[in-house]
Amino acid sequence: MIKLENVSKIYKGDVVALQDASVEVEKGEFVFLVGASGSGKSTFLRLVNKEESPEQGRIYVAGKDIAALSAWKIPYLRRNIGSVFQDFKLLTNKTVYENVAFALEVIGRPRHVVKTQVPAILELVGLGKKMGNFPNELSGGEQQRVSIARAFVNRPLILLADEPTGNLDPATSVGIMRLLDRINRTGTTVLMATHDRSIVDTMRRRVIELDRGSIIRDQSRGVYE
Amino acid sequence: MAIKVDYVVRETAANLTRNITLTLASVLTVVVSLTLFGSAFMLNQGVNNANDRFKGGIEFIVYLQPDASQEVIDSIGKSLRENPDVERADFVNKDETLVEFRRLFKDSRQLLESITADILPPSFRVAPKTQDPDVVQAIGDIYRQKAGVYDVIFAFEVVKRIQETFNKIGVRFLVASALLLLAALLLILNTIRVAMFARRREIEVMKLVGATNWFIRVPFIVEGIIQTLIGAGVAVLAMTFVIRPFIDELSQDRVLPIFQGFVVTDANLLFTNLLVVAVAVLIGAIGSAVAVSRFLDV
Repeated sequence: MIKLENVSKIYKGDVVALQDASVEVEKGEFVFLVGASGSGKSTFLRLVNKEESPEQGRIYVAGKDIAALSAWKIPYLRRNIGSVFQDFKLLTNKTVYENVAFALEVIGRPRHVVKTQVPAILELVGLGKKMGNFPNELSGGEQQRVSIARAFVNRPLILLADEPTGNLDPATSVGIMRLLDRINRTGTTVLMATHDRSIVDTMRRRVIELDRGSIIRDQSRGVYE
Repeated sequence: MAIKVDYVVRETAANLTRNITLTLASVLTVVVSLTLFGSAFMLNQGVNNANDRFKGGIEFIVYLQPDASQEVIDSIGKSLRENPDVERADFVNKDETLVEFRRLFKDSRQLLESITADILPPSFRVAPKTQDPDVVQAIGDIYRQKAGVYDVIFAFEVVKRIQETFNKIGVRFLVASALLLLAALLLILNTIRVAMFARRREIEVMKLVGATNWFIRVPFIVEGIIQTLIGAGVAVLAMTFVIRPFIDELSQDRVLPIFQGFVVTDANLLFTNLLVVAVAVLIGAIGSAVAVSRFLDV
């Protein structure tokens, strides 16, 4: 599903974010990316949905070499990739329903699809009763559920999560992880960058550890350290 | 992918009202610049209309008395054609004069109804061999004295002065309007930029979920074009109901004879207005297109 071949990414001023990284992630896998801040976890995720382009190497997503992807095709790549962030990136002037519906509207989905999909996905993430609320009326965990709903409403092949529990307390984090696990079970490949040791140790999924841009460990059913 | 009309309308309306002061600034600049531009253009057409009589090397016109007899006409014509300094002298009879008069004054219906071919002066359009104003003046003055001649009108007197005067005015107007149009373009660019900044989180999310670039851009470009179109609308009203009547008034002013024959026809006005709208759309499209391409990268 995702394949990196000798990928290097160097930012301005010789900051090496990723160095000769090669890795393959199969369809339906759940992968943790771990490592210190600045080790290249976020860059890894940003390369997959082509927010960044590598200096060297090839990146395949769903069998396609995305390094060769022309700019106008990038949106269509992203429709197959959901993204979740530490800071949720919700629109504060829109309700929960509108935030999720927005993701479908702007990619031109017909109104009847929006009307049926949005309540269904909000029900799935456990926010069926809060569709009319605004984000600032919700707890952090609930806000992250909205953002997961938005990322998943279009049933993407891949879900990228960049420290989704970074702003949440441990108990709330467990709920979010259950949700991501459930999404993974529907066949969606999940890539999650995290610092959360207990989550990684409890879930026992594949762990890829990065250190200063290099992959130093790749372990199935791994632990944080 | 089809871009939904109601989406564009909703987004554009929201953007326009969110930034009302900046929107107003761009619209007003567009109004002033386009009115100036249109006025300069209309004046230029008026000058061309007034100068039609003097095309093709005609340096002066000998107007005869409306009641001049055929003998008088023939003798003056003969004298003109035999004059070694005269290259060509074309006779324009009363009927042809009426045709020309109708064209020049076709918007003044009352005037046209009161005019018949009888009361119009026939004339000779004279092209001398030289264009030296002193020589031309000397030749013309000979005919001014002759019996049956009503008046002699010189091109350098009328045309050249009109042309020089209005070229000067026109060039200044055009320069001023060009500068203002540039200001309008930059204002629109910045209005769109501010609008995009206000909606940067929406734009970020749109990119993230895979909205196409054009889907994100179109509402902003429409916003830019709507601003200039509103400005163009006001400018068109100003030109139709303020500038054009003003030019007509000038052309009937006896104290300023320079404006005589200075007419702006309905066709001129329509053409000018269409041009103003076209320029407006262009400015709006360029301003907003530059804004979205510079500040809206994938």
